[in-house]
Formats: sequence, structure tokens, C-alpha cells
Amino acid sequence: MSEQLEIRDLEVSIGSKKILKGVSLTVNQGEVHALMGPNGSGKTSLAYTLMGHPDYHVDAGSVTWKGENLLKLTPDKRARLRVFLAFQYPSVIPGVTVASFLRNIYNAVHHPQQPSPEEAGKMPRYTGIPLAKFRKLLADKMALLKMDPAFASRYVNEGFSGGEKKRLEMLQMAILDPQMAILDETDSGLDIDALRNVAEGINATLSPEMGVLMITHYQRMLNYVTPQFVHVLLDGRIVMSGGEELSHQLEANGYDWVRQQVGLPEGVTDQAAEPEPVGQHA
Amino acid sequence: MTVLAPSIGFGASTIEAISDANDEPAWLRDRRRTWFERAEATPWPSGQEEEWRRTSLDRLPRDVELLLDPPRVRCELDAELAGAGVVFSDLRAAVREHPDLVRRALEEGDTPAVPAPEVGPAGAAPLQPVGSGEWGPGVTEFDSHDKFWALAQAAWTGGTFLYVPADVAVDAALLARSTVERGNVAYFPLTLVLAERGARVTLLDEHRSPDGQPVWFGGIVDIRSGREAWVRYANLQRLGDATWNIGAQRVQVGPGADVTTLNAEVGSSVTKVGLDVRMTGDGGTSRLLGLLAAGEDQHIDINAFQDLSASHVTSDLLYLSALYDRARAAFYGVTKVRSHAKQTSSYQECRNLLLSSEAGAEPIPVLEIETNDILRCGHGATAGAIDPVQLFYAQTRGLPPDEAERMIVRGFFEQVVAQIESEPIKAEVLQALAARIGSADVAEDAA
Repeated sequence: MSEQLEIRDLEVSIGSKKILKGVSLTVNQGEVHALMGPNGSGKTSLAYTLMGHPDYHVDAGSVTWKGENLLKLTPDKRARLRVFLAFQYPSVIPGVTVASFLRNIYNAVHHPQQPSPEEAGKMPRYTGIPLAKFRKLLADKMALLKMDPAFASRYVNEGFSGGEKKRLEMLQMAILDPQMAILDETDSGLDIDALRNVAEGINATLSPEMGVLMITHYQRMLNYVTPQFVHVLLDGRIVMSGGEELSHQLEANGYDWVRQQVGLPEGVTDQAAEPEPVGQHA
Repeated sequence: MTVLAPSIGFGASTIEAISDANDEPAWLRDRRRTWFERAEATPWPSGQEEEWRRTSLDRLPRDVELLLDPPRVRCELDAELAGAGVVFSDLRAAVREHPDLVRRALEEGDTPAVPAPEVGPAGAAPLQPVGSGEWGPGVTEFDSHDKFWALAQAAWTGGTFLYVPADVAVDAALLARSTVERGNVAYFPLTLVLAERGARVTLLDEHRSPDGQPVWFGGIVDIRSGREAWVRYANLQRLGDATWNIGAQRVQVGPGADVTTLNAEVGSSVTKVGLDVRMTGDGGTSRLLGLLAAGEDQHIDINAFQDLSASHVTSDLLYLSALYDRARAAFYGVTKVRSHAKQTSSYQECRNLLLSSEAGAEPIPVLEIETNDILRCGHGATAGAIDPVQLFYAQTRGLPPDEAERMIVRGFFEQVVAQIESEPIKAEVLQALAARIGSADVAEDAA
């Protein structure tokens, strides 16, 4: 059965500042949606809210996925419902190798087990995927993304270039095999070769069972990954939706054109930039 | 802090009783007497010394009996190494079986054959030699630890003796396990490690005591490495939850020698360890590693003194703490580069992860550099909670908060764990830490 992510009238604030002012959007499994908008329009806030970032407070609205109100679940439970967020600024996890991290998160999503009361807090709670089987899976996914196996021995995002960080996000997505993937500015900070590389990774990972919400403020990513639907977020609201052609109109005319079309004053959202969440250090 | 009455639960007659019970030779009997006189003549720390400001001795269980009959330290050595002249045994047994060697080792330790430091008002604490050597009996700069060094030299009733002759390599890690089996005692084990020129050895020195009953554990460690010796020493402290661990460790690094010490602090109620590393031979290398996992009301205070008195030496210190509940960690470290030591390289870093809002850490690194002719001398100190964004990132990958925290803490420790070369020791240290930090696999390699 095809699932759908249904966002309804979502209002979100950080502290006393209202960021999202009533966002509604539905993404079905198998669809690729692009969410475009200038800096400060609320794109990353939407991504973080969908994943349960503790700094974002939901004032109103709902997000439904697989019959559950996603907003009531902790981030790890959302992940186990096979929702995935590729971060714009992924975190460094010192001392944890990529290979161990990936095996831990694979097991967390695909082999979650509740500990018995006497096991709580003691030795490993589950054994999960056998090591040999996981190594095969990892080798396959790394080959798919054309990644050097040596990558797996490095610590998560430690000393990674911008492109390497984004490729690790794609590798995590490939390993977790989500049913709903939110890609937050996966194209940002990349030169043209790295962009192509990462975009090929996205295309290699996408499956017909996956719904995708791809957040970007440039059209260039969409040259590689073609969306069926394009939405424009301005000042905390989706003000325009269309097909792939909308992204080209945006590229040609800019966001001021959108403001004119919908009757917003020019440039207002750029001045009221989105507050920096704690996670915005690269 | 109140000044303590100079009384302890045992006196000169107890020291005689140790010698009687073990039928000790006259030289050892005399040596104990001399050290006990020094211990009595040495004042308790007043609490005003920089290195004693963070740990009060008010509640040290001093008025307890001395443990006269501890179980032997369990040491195993294969016959081939024994044949090559390696001695590895309980210290009391070593006195009986290798009296000349033990005598030499102990007496050399009283007057270390090292270059004398230049005379002068260097450092905060004045040099107050109490012993017969120019260096005094114990910890050069932290002479406030001398009381405990002297007590242990006088009142040791157990301990570990390891001697590796020149050019002998001991490949597998040696394991010394010592257990105090009852409470309400004072116990001062002495670990003595001598690695002669070109010797290679790895030692795990594990200490345990019972939970729930007060123990005054005053273990001291004396490690001496000869020219180009290679020594790996790991102290695994798994003492009981009512044990006061007031210890000192002295490490002498000979010319071209390479010494790593690890202190894994897991147990005890209060731990206060003075670590004194003397880089006395040109071209020597030392790494001082620490892993502290503390919770409840545990208090751990480490003083480190890296004394660079030879040229072309390297001495790096890295202590990491994970602190839960109301645990406290203090670190006061001094790196001293003496004026005649050229082209040295040194670093001290103390990092603390606070896993509860009530946990606390106070890392204080100090550099005293008396020369311009250095390659590198630096320090770093941090204390803070896990970055909430890091935790969120791990949670978005499906890891429940407790598992995400365990993985992050274990990854934090990996910077030290990865430097433990002996796999069996690494496994034991991780197993001991797991009681506090849980276990998480973080070091898996590529396929």
C-alpha cells in the first residue's frame, strides 16, 4: 500500500519567532517533490520539524504518516517509521567509524528490539544483522555510490569535505532505505563535479517506493533529479505549486517574480532571515 | 578545610609487625623504619596547595587497621620468560625469592639515578628533599603527595614486582590482579616496574576492593625505564564504592625509551592520584592516557606533572572523563620544560563530557617553560555536555536517546582507546568501563 506524508496547516516557531505560518503539503510514496524558496523562507525549519528537532515548537497543525501523528513521536521513532532526513549540515561524531555508525543505525531501524528488564543498560541489546552480511550490504551500497571503501574506516564526518559529508548522507540513506526522504539542501556547498556526484548518488538510491521532499534554493540540482511537483515556500507559507516547469520559471525570473505573482512585497523575507538553529555550524 | 590531626590507625609497632610477619631481612626492616619516620615527619596536605584545593581529606578513613595479610597479587609468567631472567610476582614473594634484585630496585628508587635539576626557585612548590636523593622521596613538584609516597614505602604489605632484563621482549601483556577482600582497612600496595635497556613489556595492573565498606587504598606505582626500553602500563582501578584511593605514580623515562601509561578510573568513592613523569633521558617519549567514568557522588582528582629535563623528548598527556549523576572530576596538570632541555615536544589535554546537569569538571592545565628552544608545548581543556545537535543527528538515524548517548560517549573515549595497543587490555578496560558508560561498537573497520 502506498503511504502518504500529509502536512496540514503546520505552524512552527523557534522561541517567540514564528517561522512556518500554515504549511500544507502532501507527498506520496513514489513521488519526488521539490521545495524551493529563498534563504530564510522556512525550508530547513520544515525539514527539522518533520524530523523532531527539539528547538522547533509546533504551534498548530498536523503531520500524518502511516496513520500516526508524526509530531508526537521522538526522532528515533520517526526514523523507525522509515522517514529520513539528509542534513544540510551533518554532525561530526568523533571516534565512531562510518562502518560502525552505519551498522548501528541499520540495526536501530531494521532490527529494533526492546530489551528485557534484566538486560536494560547492560551488554548489547540486540545483535542485529550478522557482521558478514552487513559488510556485504555496505560494500554494495558504497559501490553503488562509487565510494572508496577506505571511507568506512574514517570517523563520522570528522575532517570531511562538504562533498564527502553529503555523500555520507546519501550512503546513510542507501543503507536505511527510507520510504520518505527529506533532502535538505543536499546541493549546497558543492562544486559542479561534487554536485553531479551527489546527484548521481541520489538517483542511484531513489526507488519507486520512496517519497522524496527535496529542499533547495537553486534549480541546478533539479537538472539531475527531476521532480514531478515543485512548491515555493515564501515567508513561512507555500505560495505557489506546479510541475517541473515551475523550477525553470523560478530560475529565469527569481523569487521577486513569485512575490509579484502572489502579491507579497519584494524582498521582505530576505531581511527577516530564519534564526539560526543550534545546528547550523558546519 | 580543617587541618587534620596527624593520627592514623596504625603506628611504628605495626610497621615492625609487617617485617616480623614476613620475616623480612634487616635492610628492608630498616628501610621501612626510615620511611615511616619520614612519613610521620611529613605534614598532611593542608588543602592550601594548588593540587589539593579540590579534594578534601576530611573524610578519609584514616582510623582503620592496616591490612597485614592481603591475598597475593595474582601474576602469571611463562617459564621461558622466567628463564630469560624476567621476574614477575607478588612483591612479598619477590623479596624472598630475589632479595638482591628487589633491594636494588627499591633502593635505586630512593635515590633515582637521574640528572639533578638546576637549583633555583623554579615552580610553585619549593623542592624539599626528605629522602637521601636529590629528588626527595616522591613527587618532585607535588611534594604534597610525599606523605602518601612515604607511607606506602613504609607500610606496603602487598604489591607487584616486575623486572625485565636488558634486551628481553615480553610480547604478551602481563596481568597483575590484586583484590582487597574486606573493608575497614588501609592498604598500600606498591607496584614496581623496572625495564632495563632495550627491554619491552606490557603490564595490566588491576585493583579491586569490596563495595559498601570504607577502605583507604594508597597504592603507589614506580616505573623506571632504561635506555630505549619500551613500556606499556595500564592501571585499571575497579575499587569499591566506599574506597578512598589516594595514590601516586612516578614514571622515569630513560634515553630513547618509550613509555605509555593508562589510568582507567572506574571505581572508588574518592580518587586522588599524583602522576609524576620525569623525562630524564634524551630522546625519550611518554604518553599519559586517562579514561575516567564516574557517576553517583564519585570524585576523581588527577594531578599530573610532566617534567621535561632532557633534550629531544616528547611527552603527551590525554585524559578523558565521562561524568554522570553528581560526579566530579578535577585535573591539575603542570608541564615543565627545564632550561637545559632542548627541542622538546609536549602537550596536555583534558576533556570532560558532562552527562548530567549536576556533574562537574574542573580541568586546569599549566605550562612552565624555561627555554625558547622548544618544538611544541601546548594544552587544551574542555568541559561540557553532549552537543544536542549531535544527539539529534544520531536520533534521526533511529537510535533511541540512551543508545545515541552511549555511542557518542564511547566515540569520545575512542581517542584514548585506540591508543591501547594490547587487545586483551583494551577489551578488559572497555568491559570495566561498560558498567558505567554501557557498551557500543564504534571501531568497526571497512569491510
